[in-house]
Amino acid sequence: MSKTEDPIQTTGRRKTSVASIRMQSGTGAIKVNGRDFTDYFGSLSLQNQILRPLEIANAVHSYDVTAKATGGGINGQAGALRLALSRALIEVNETLRTQLKQEGLLTRDPRMKERKKPGRPGARKRFQFSKR
Amino acid sequence: MSRRRRVIHKEVKKDARYASPVVASLISTVMREGKKSTAERIVYTAIEKTREGTDTIDPLETLNKALENVKPRLEVKSRRVGGATYQVPMEVPAARQVSLAMRWLVTFANKRKGVPMENALAYELKDAAAGQGNAIKKRDDMHKMAQANRAFAHFRW
Repeated sequence: MSKTEDPIQTTGRRKTSVASIRMQSGTGAIKVNGRDFTDYFGSLSLQNQILRPLEIANAVHSYDVTAKATGGGINGQAGALRLALSRALIEVNETLRTQLKQEGLLTRDPRMKERKKPGRPGARKRFQFSKR
Repeated sequence: MSRRRRVIHKEVKKDARYASPVVASLISTVMREGKKSTAERIVYTAIEKTREGTDTIDPLETLNKALENVKPRLEVKSRRVGGATYQVPMEVPAARQVSLAMRWLVTFANKRKGVPMENALAYELKDAAAGQGNAIKKRDDMHKMAQANRAFAHFRW
């Protein structure tokens, strides 16, 4: 698949967030839930995180992306979007796979919130010990 | 510090704004309870504030200078020899110098009460860069301790 007029659709997940994106050739505008991504993700470190796959593909200004991000928090959504972008990029250009893989951008981060256990106030935390 | 096996040192990631590993670890030193975005905000505004009134190009100049000034060269470690504990002066490894310097800068910035952390950190950095401040004092104290215990230097291990 080379240049297509049909947008490429992919999804990415991280923690409890899901990001589904449509990507087509353009000028580098990334919209998330109707807002520009620099506006949606306030912190610079999150923005850099999202741009990482595009930087590796040397394609920061080559595509327009519309994304829908649901669930979780801002951090998870950024991670989900990043994974979705990486997946979209290898659909355009399969040769990017090795590079993206090396950077760990194609791995679904398996870390999830650990469940709370009975008899404890949290996943690992114990109630305060009282001798009597 | 593991006594069993060699420690594998992970490469410190670069920070988002200045692409500097030093700033990244400063952010981590400032961070409390996993609140990284708050820590980032504090560090970045503090760095901005250290530039006020200066016309330097390098935004990290004050920070680097402060770190350089606060880095301790000698410290004392306790060692037991035949029932008595001696304070043995030792040289501080380079990596530990940086960590200690950062830790001191941050804790003494924290102790400046009644000032927002970003200002406190900025003042502390400026002071340290000028060779004053509590962090510098801490370093001098440490050097004094090492100096006073020079006699035990031959216990080095």
